[in-house]
Amino acid sequence: MNRPLTLILAMLVVAGTLFAGGSSESSDQTRLVYMTAGDTNMLALGQNVLGPQFTAEHPDISLMTIHTGPGNAGSQRIFEKLLAESESNKESWDVDVAMVHQIFMKWAMEKDLLMPFAKDLDTWQYVTSPFAKSSLGVDITGYAMPMFHSQTALAFNPEYVKNPPKTFEELEQWVKDHPGKFGYNGIKGGMSGVSFTVAWVYWKTGNYEKYAVTGPFEQSEVDSWEGAFKDLAEFNKNVTFTSGNVGTLDALNRGEIWMGPVWVDMFFTFMNEGKLDPQTRMILPAPGMPGQPMYFVIPRKARHPEAAKKFVEFVTSPDVQAREIVQRFNWYPGIDGSYLKDSIPQETFDKVYGDVTPEDLQKYGLAFPIADYFDAMLESYERWIH
Amino acid sequence: MAVTQTRLRHKGGIPPYGLLLLPAVGFMLLVYAYPFVSSVITSFVSPSGGLSLVNFQKTIDLYLKDIVFTLLVTTSNTVMILVAAIMFAVYLRMSDTAVSRLLSHIYKLGIFIPFVVVAQMMRSFLAPHGMLNVALAQLGLINIDRPLQLFNYAGLTFGFMWKLVPFAVLIVHGGFQMIDNSYLEAARSTGARLFHVVTRILVPMNKSSILVATVLVYAQIVSTFTLPYMLIGGKIPTTITVDIAHRVNYFRDFGVANALGVVSYVFVLVTAVYYLKNSMKQHQGKKVKEVVHA
Repeated sequence: MNRPLTLILAMLVVAGTLFAGGSSESSDQTRLVYMTAGDTNMLALGQNVLGPQFTAEHPDISLMTIHTGPGNAGSQRIFEKLLAESESNKESWDVDVAMVHQIFMKWAMEKDLLMPFAKDLDTWQYVTSPFAKSSLGVDITGYAMPMFHSQTALAFNPEYVKNPPKTFEELEQWVKDHPGKFGYNGIKGGMSGVSFTVAWVYWKTGNYEKYAVTGPFEQSEVDSWEGAFKDLAEFNKNVTFTSGNVGTLDALNRGEIWMGPVWVDMFFTFMNEGKLDPQTRMILPAPGMPGQPMYFVIPRKARHPEAAKKFVEFVTSPDVQAREIVQRFNWYPGIDGSYLKDSIPQETFDKVYGDVTPEDLQKYGLAFPIADYFDAMLESYERWIH
Repeated sequence: MAVTQTRLRHKGGIPPYGLLLLPAVGFMLLVYAYPFVSSVITSFVSPSGGLSLVNFQKTIDLYLKDIVFTLLVTTSNTVMILVAAIMFAVYLRMSDTAVSRLLSHIYKLGIFIPFVVVAQMMRSFLAPHGMLNVALAQLGLINIDRPLQLFNYAGLTFGFMWKLVPFAVLIVHGGFQMIDNSYLEAARSTGARLFHVVTRILVPMNKSSILVATVLVYAQIVSTFTLPYMLIGGKIPTTITVDIAHRVNYFRDFGVANALGVVSYVFVLVTAVYYLKNSMKQHQGKKVKEVVHA
């Protein structure tokens, strides 16, 4: 045998022993694969905050966070991954736990990709939100655990807006009186604009219950929206269109617009980072605007379902919800806010619930419509508004 | 030699070098041809599964204005970019000063900056109270309470030119450098002015690289998503690419998304066919010349 060959063989043997050692070691530790949709802050949350803290409490489990991207497109990638695993008839799937948007629940429930797990959790007792039972009209009780709730509201600059509109009627009049000073991002530039449009239809039709809660879907309802959207087209003539969710906040900060729909959590994050005039305030006008949760789900054939449940339990515990979800990321908690009062400093509680009070949320915090109405609203916008 | 090759081909069906081509051709088929064909086919499949034209009907119904807008943006911007690029390339070709040498290095920067960065840049630069408007207001040229509105066709054009003029210059200028100085000197010595030197010598002799630049710039504008999305995503009209993302993200509607895709393929095919025809003609022209010389 010549020398190079011996050397290669020796290296292979060494490498083999090393890897064998490695794998035997990692079999003691469960590696949980956590796939999350959402903005990059969701990656940071998993990788830098939840992962290390969870492992500190459960040294035998480590968390690997995989980020799929913002918006429904991010959830769609998770759905496609799970669907592919389901269709390949694998015995155990790669993803242990995932963080998804509302529309994912409809897709995944239709294809039977999820495990009913939420009722096994200790923290299920703290969940009171109707969003945990139904997502866009689909019954999801037990299949999903809300991690946080996001709400849209109207942000305004109090320097120019002394009496912010308390209702959509007042808003319509205000925009007429102040052309170009209200801004939103249409329906193709991000969800805050979509949310505003949905709220508009709820207001004009007065049919929130039917569209978002009870159903059923009827084409005659959709056909009756022409007037509502023609009014919105008229309203749009006095509106400044912004370039996305962030675009609305930037335009507010630069004084280009005086009012616009925003996500509450983005509003606080921008404020904390000094990217928004600290005087900017919010209001949730009647009859309300939609919000949405993001959910934990566990795939039907997850490799480590028990560890995954422990992880979800950890994140939905009052302690972590107070510290990370509310204080650090400025979301509303996934569990009932009343369980957090003791864990949050009064100052933070006042800030988060200052402009938009828990009572406002109760009364005016709406859901997005059931999927068929949702699609119809977005398409009607494209059809009627030129 | 030719005889042996013909014989081999006859014997085995596939010539021996066919095997060598297999990985490359296989890759092309799998990664380019298959998605393309499947996208075209999907555009003709209705939501219920049968073959139909519903996706195209919906596309025309909802997105005709966006299709027209995209075509307008694409063609007008391609023309503007090419004209600007030719002018700049002429300057670089004809002038040999410290300034032109410096510029010939600096202009390439834009090529290496991705569209998403350009879009983010334009989003704050062109905003109503953005850098441009504030600067103009400081100079007393505009009133900041009535700023220039640039999140529209104008801003989009500015963004595309910022990014694609350097790219077109790179190609066109390369072509200009292949033209021997003696042609320019001959033209000059018989009294041609700069305008004539450009239109009679530089541009005609450099037709092929200008054509390449046109096709590439055009195809890039048709396919760009980030710039229109981040600048005019929420507006009406917007570009086809934004609509495709909207159909997929909100509706998971790959039928209409692919129908919109097919529309953009048609846009690009027009230039591709023109380009191919032209290069074939040139190729044939060369062959004829060779025969004549022989």
